[in-house]
Amino acid sequence: MDLTLIVVLVIALALFFDFTNGFHDTANAMATPIATGAITPKKAVALAAILNLVGAFLSTEVAKTISGGIINEDPSTGVAIGPAMIFAGLMGAVIWNLLTWLLGLPSSSSHALFGGLVGAAIIGAGVASVNYSVLLSKVLLPAICAPVIAGVSAYLCTKLAYAITKRQNGASPKRGGFRYGQIFSSSLVALSHGTNDAQKTMGIITLTLVASGLQDSGSPVHLWVVAACALAIALGTYTGGWRIIQTMGSGLTDVKPAQGFAAEVSTASAILASSHLGFALSTTQVASGSVIGSGMGRKGGEVRWGTAGRIALGWLFTLPAAAIVGGIAAWIVHFGTPGLIIVTVLGVGAMLTIWFASRKQPHGAETTMSDIDNSGAAVNILTKKQRRAKAKADATQAKLAAANKEADNS
Amino acid sequence: MIDWVAFGIVAIVTWISAMLIVAAYAFGVRLLAVAKDEGKNTSLSKTGAYACFTVAGLIVAFGVVLIVPQLSEAVLGFSSSH
Repeated sequence: MDLTLIVVLVIALALFFDFTNGFHDTANAMATPIATGAITPKKAVALAAILNLVGAFLSTEVAKTISGGIINEDPSTGVAIGPAMIFAGLMGAVIWNLLTWLLGLPSSSSHALFGGLVGAAIIGAGVASVNYSVLLSKVLLPAICAPVIAGVSAYLCTKLAYAITKRQNGASPKRGGFRYGQIFSSSLVALSHGTNDAQKTMGIITLTLVASGLQDSGSPVHLWVVAACALAIALGTYTGGWRIIQTMGSGLTDVKPAQGFAAEVSTASAILASSHLGFALSTTQVASGSVIGSGMGRKGGEVRWGTAGRIALGWLFTLPAAAIVGGIAAWIVHFGTPGLIIVTVLGVGAMLTIWFASRKQPHGAETTMSDIDNSGAAVNILTKKQRRAKAKADATQAKLAAANKEADNS
Repeated sequence: MIDWVAFGIVAIVTWISAMLIVAAYAFGVRLLAVAKDEGKNTSLSKTGAYACFTVAGLIVAFGVVLIVPQLSEAVLGFSSSH
């Protein structure tokens, strides 16, 4: 098969991945302001799409991490893996992504991408082709640290927002004012999404160009690559928005404007800071960390650790699972042109099957809920009545324990 | 090797910037609430509120300038890009 044809195939698949990423993540940024009525759905979706487009142009640090760090360089050929292997890895990522989307499992498209790529590289070019130190310090550790950092930030910010707006004389705090702030904080989340997620695709395309000898290794990302990725993610965001509008009002978590504002500002800050240092993290995971943190910051907020654990388990699973799919695809691709054709046919077949299967499911099913809503369910906010009842029960229990102790002593 | 300093930078930058933005905006919300309740000196409270919102916006703008290499070179005269 011609070298340029495989390069075109990889670029097309990468842009498709970028599109699904935007499609999948619109809800993360815009669901809350739509739900609180701060902005009309049409405007929210258009705003998110434009900001994703702008965000993609802001930085290329994450793209450099992917194109020049994770896969080791081979002194003779430049990069240890060829475009066919990258194609196999991408196919693994796309299929794993669509499968988790269909089944409503918590997943991260970013980790699916890295998993697929690493799996394909190990099978296609050996264990030594992956730079594990970069993988650990720029992908795996940020995946754990960034959601925690964002969660702590959201917790502190929620406490702060409620403390500052609390009125002493019992006057109304009018926290509804945060609703308008949420338009800006959500926009910031959309912008940060563009800076981190669009760059992953830029990195993949640049890696392909370097691997096929069309670009010098270590040279900056081409402008047309940036523009293509920006357009793909913006288009995906816009298309995905219509899906949210249709299913609005189903299963949205109870997020108050002040809390939502604190969570979104934390998410955007964490993602932007990470993007700047080249950490390729999952924006969904960071946003989930913020939602849980801000829920804990509210009065009466308590975490349902079971639900939170189930979500974290889904995340842990993503990288190795996508690596296995990517590895299998790489193994088939190993047989040359026929292998490549088989992977393409199987991959497109799997995509179509998943797409048709998803159409059969009724609306409002778990697949249409955003991952953020899932993590919102991990926090239980007690009402005033429940809080009082709990305090009473605790007091009674303490009294009982004290009485028992006295009885024991006497 | 693992660059722990980078993680520290991300954590500190996130916490400080997010808390500054939220604090500024929250003071704005409070001042607007005060302006609505108390009647007297409404314009002062309202001006203060909008000043707070502006501060929150400026912190965001500063953050974006820091991140974009071209902007930080043009506005601040240096780039913190790696």
